[in-house]
Amino acid sequence: MTENPEVRGCVLPLNLHYNVGDHTWVAMNDDGTATVGMTDVAQNLAGPLLHAKPKKVGVVRKKGKPVGTVESSKWVGPVKSPLSGEIVAVNETLASDAQVINRSPYKDGWIVKLRPSQLDEELATLLTGQPAVDAYRERIETEDLKACEHVEGFEA
Amino acid sequence: MSEDPEGKKILVIQTHGVETPNRTYSPLFYAMAAAAMEMEVMVWFTMDGTNQLKKGAAEKVQLDSSSDVTLKTMLEQAQEAEVELRVCQQSLALFDMTMDDVIDGVEILGATSIIDLALEADHVMYF
Repeated sequence: MTENPEVRGCVLPLNLHYNVGDHTWVAMNDDGTATVGMTDVAQNLAGPLLHAKPKKVGVVRKKGKPVGTVESSKWVGPVKSPLSGEIVAVNETLASDAQVINRSPYKDGWIVKLRPSQLDEELATLLTGQPAVDAYRERIETEDLKACEHVEGFEA
Repeated sequence: MSEDPEGKKILVIQTHGVETPNRTYSPLFYAMAAAAMEMEVMVWFTMDGTNQLKKGAAEKVQLDSSSDVTLKTMLEQAQEAEVELRVCQQSLALFDMTMDDVIDGVEILGATSIIDLALEADHVMYF
């Protein structure tokens, strides 16, 4: 099993690729697609989510453009794509259960799957492993972000 | 589903100010939602809405008793989301305010400009 480091209670799996600034992660799949989601830090900042709306399959995104929006009772914002590419799948569960992101930000709460168009150069801009954890720790401490609180049934 | 909203222009007109906190939250929230959907969003503060933008005013308006979220928090989040904030020149005078009294990041526009912007917008939301 992969260890999952925590910073202020926020879980940061070592095997993912992170855009720390945008609070997103990428997992590379065997078929060449990339799964994208929000980090534990992000779901904690947003609070219990009411709606999560991914863009549609077939939409082409540039890195930094939203692959969807999420909203809670106190926050609404974009989920910015960590990679450029075409959306090849969206998490249909989100339409009826946005809080799956709160419960399982790295597994069942994924947002979209992309077929990356500039993978090599863009993946290199993301952080993974301990450097990602260190960068996130610096951000959390610098901005004094609140400690993660996990709902019952949370899984990382 | 409606067509993709990206790139559309939304103009939010806010006429309510710090004396009615419950009427200040939603317009900014909608503006941020539209910005998150990649729309071009502008909030136009006029009439009583002008006083939201006075330095030192918004931080005194508590919007959520269970947290420290104030109207200032919302205005800052809106600006971070690239929502453009504009204030009515004529309303400023109504409150004996000048641009020196207005928080940073807000631009001033006159009445004819807002009419032009309303005509150019894909949709106007009026509060």
